[in-house]
Amino acid sequence: MTAEPLVALRGIEKTFGSIAALRGVDLDLFAGECLGLVGDNAAGKSTLTKILAGVHEPDRGSIIVAGEDVRFPDPAAARARRIEMVFQDLSLCDTIDVAGNLFLGREIARSGFLRKRAMIDAAREMLAGLQIRIPNLTATVGSLSGGQRQSIAIARAASFDPLVLIMDEPTSALAVAEVEAVLTLIRHVKARGVAVVLITHRLQDLFRVCDRIAVMYEGLKVAERRIGETSLEDLVSLIVGSGGA
Amino acid sequence: MNASARPAGSRRADFLIRYAPVLSIAGFAVICLIFFAWGSPYFLSGGNMLNLFRQSAPLLIVAIAMTFVITTGGIDLSVGSTVALVNALAAIALQAGLAWPLVVILMLGVGAIVGGVQGWFSAYQGIPSFIVTLAFLTGLRGFALLLTRGYSIPIAPGSWFDVLGRGSLGPLPVPALLALATAFVGFVVLDGTTYGRHVTAVGANLEAARRAGIPARRIAASVFVLSGIAAALAGLITAARLGSGSSNAAVGFELEVIAAVVLGGTSLFGGTGTIVGTVLGTLTIAMIGNGLILMHVSPFFTEIATGAIILGAVWLNARVFARLAGPGRRQ
Repeated sequence: MTAEPLVALRGIEKTFGSIAALRGVDLDLFAGECLGLVGDNAAGKSTLTKILAGVHEPDRGSIIVAGEDVRFPDPAAARARRIEMVFQDLSLCDTIDVAGNLFLGREIARSGFLRKRAMIDAAREMLAGLQIRIPNLTATVGSLSGGQRQSIAIARAASFDPLVLIMDEPTSALAVAEVEAVLTLIRHVKARGVAVVLITHRLQDLFRVCDRIAVMYEGLKVAERRIGETSLEDLVSLIVGSGGA
Repeated sequence: MNASARPAGSRRADFLIRYAPVLSIAGFAVICLIFFAWGSPYFLSGGNMLNLFRQSAPLLIVAIAMTFVITTGGIDLSVGSTVALVNALAAIALQAGLAWPLVVILMLGVGAIVGGVQGWFSAYQGIPSFIVTLAFLTGLRGFALLLTRGYSIPIAPGSWFDVLGRGSLGPLPVPALLALATAFVGFVVLDGTTYGRHVTAVGANLEAARRAGIPARRIAASVFVLSGIAAALAGLITAARLGSGSSNAAVGFELEVIAAVVLGGTSLFGGTGTIVGTVLGTLTIAMIGNGLILMHVSPFFTEIATGAIILGAVWLNARVFARLAGPGRRQ
């Protein structure tokens, strides 16, 4: 692992009304590494990643990308710094086909007219690069399974060539085989040198793809473990707040 | 790749699922055609068919634009009142001696502005389009009544303006040609352009469209400009055909338009629009009206029949569609 982190969060604080959602969190992200972010509901995982994705602005603290102090007033600013997030709701258009969703908002067109053939070809290439199998690229996304939809959302985010890719609960609603496919996909993305942040409640998934795990508790990062140095029991006790940091 | 991979599924099944709504309205249109051809010897005659196309032209033009509005998940209830306003304004302007090409351009401009204002209220101010256009349905009609004081205003015959409503190119009536051109352009734009794709995306998932960098509000507002212009064109055609402008024109027109669009298979929830379906839906409604009159059924009964047929067709559509699409489909 390189000594210099790709992205560093320092002393991030965020308050919603009277609730201190984050109380000074430090976090480093490294290229080609998957960081698992765990913690109970309302521990601050989502708030932290949303700050990184530009959805919320921190009250205090700094975001350092490649050594430079940056501010993300909106998601576009984060995207400009090549930080992508796959939201839990996936942000797909159910009535539009697979190729159309992959190219949503940046359609391949010639003087305003869609080049559907070119989009399907490019989509096939995009999916093949991540070894995602979708037989029919002209099927509407609404007709696909949960795992396929998740794969498309991840492929779409990965196609922006991000430095950091945040995934919020990508495996929570999936069947066994689909979870495997998504975990494999995360490994492929990681192998491209992307820093992956994985929020999940499924602790067993962490041990399959993550290199490092950060545990959040009541708005603080209470522990950070390399994957080889921890166990399921250790994580559980940290998450419920009974373990030592 | 994978030995146990699922096959892609038959192309025929995919085709059926995708086009089920259009196929069902196409079937319905054919049934209507056969029924009325059997019921009246005049129904299929060339003269009656051309008349049917001429009469349904305003309906078709506005229904095409309404398909865009409904595809974004909006609704435009003001089109009938816009038709009346343009109808009256055009007659007043022509009576005042304005040149007809200028009148046409001005009226289309009025339609665009009326639509643009409604689009602004609904897309940028977050007021549901149902409410905004309901307000305009009342307001624009009142404005037209105020302008004409309720009287019908005659348009002096003999100018080229008449051609818009009564002219023919060869055997084909000019209004029908205008409607067909509108339908063709609508089909190409909705199905084949970036703009059409964005219209669908805004209706399918507004938040996703916004996150993908689509100017969602501008798209949602723009469709009302389209329906405003289309209503203005329909108003001009009606004025030219009847040779007068009246503030009482096109009462209940908006409901007929929406019925045609929904009958064609466009989803009121947004995200799914079909121009081919809208054309078939419009023709079906036009055939029912025309055919029942030819069969000497009371015109009052026509309204009952139209209502029943709309409900029946949409019900069939939903049933057939739901079964073909299977449980995988959401919403």
